[in-house]
Amino acid sequence: MLLIKILFGLITGFLFGYILTRTGVTKYPRVMGMLLLKDFKILKFMLTAVISSMILFYLLGDAGLLTLSLKTLDWGKLVGGLIFGVGMGLLGYCPGTLAARIGEGKRESIIALFGMAFGIFIYAWTIKPVKSALLTGEITGDISVLLGINHWFIIIPAAVLFAGIIWLANKHVSDDRVNF
Amino acid sequence: MQIDNSREWHWLKGGLLTSLLSVATYFVFSAIAERHYPFGVTAGFGYIAAAFARFFDGLRDNPVIQRFGTKPDALIEFFLVIGLIIGGFTAAKLSKTWSPEWLPATWVKYHGKSSTRRVAVVILGSILLGYGAAMSGGCTTGNILQGWAHLSLGSIVAGASFFAGGIITARLLYPRTGGDHAAH
Repeated sequence: MLLIKILFGLITGFLFGYILTRTGVTKYPRVMGMLLLKDFKILKFMLTAVISSMILFYLLGDAGLLTLSLKTLDWGKLVGGLIFGVGMGLLGYCPGTLAARIGEGKRESIIALFGMAFGIFIYAWTIKPVKSALLTGEITGDISVLLGINHWFIIIPAAVLFAGIIWLANKHVSDDRVNF
Repeated sequence: MQIDNSREWHWLKGGLLTSLLSVATYFVFSAIAERHYPFGVTAGFGYIAAAFARFFDGLRDNPVIQRFGTKPDALIEFFLVIGLIIGGFTAAKLSKTWSPEWLPATWVKYHGKSSTRRVAVVILGSILLGYGAAMSGGCTTGNILQGWAHLSLGSIVAGASFFAGGIITARLLYPRTGGDHAAH
């Protein structure tokens, strides 16, 4: 059983890393370009993946073939998300791309790997005050729970909105150069 | 900054393959990790943090360390991180784009060749990345690629905050390029 876990972790990571590097979304100028609203390849890649998997997950869920897993909403999502965003802006990549970059020979990312683990270690030290200040009053569910409507009334407009963003970005900005 | 896009996969191809990987592995991980969860990367780094925490008696009963040190999904994600490194290496080698690099060229162009300055930013940035990912329950993979696809309330807020924090930081770091709206 342990071997199966190790093997599936390795295979999934390998395929994911291969896709990330091959699509070029691990590149520092692309990540910074997105955050500076100058390059949208990563955004298009990300929203494509979200639209496609959203529809697949919910179709399979409605057919009773899988149980969706939903993260809880609490203040930690907002505060932690902002802290993560500042970290991503400083680094120029995120945790998944960080690991793929190490494989690409981007040496500074090795430092970032240990920095990231150390950040989680510090989080463990501060969990008590964080929990009482931020991780209370939780709501769990998908967004349709909050709005009280069938999830397809959200999935379809969300897919149309994301596709519209992709279309606009693709029309106005070329993937061939990052303009800074 | 010229990027040779012809040597990269199209975003549509990469995006669709990522979604297929997400959905296919969801079934596998639900079966072997004793809970339903979309794959992420953060817990893999948490696994390293938990291993490091063994040297500290005060952290033995810490809920964060317990979670990352004992849950099967953290072990799976640790090997997922190893797999990511190997996958990145293989893709770069096969497409002949593998190149050793110390600092990103774009950084050097704007902030100079000082590695001390960049390393300080990398250390601070990665610590914030880890802290924020642990607090918000996942990184770009878990909260956006997976959480947004599940329409998870918590992930929608977390993912939007990633962009908010990232956009503000990028503008502060590159003030001369952030303002104009030149597209081409």
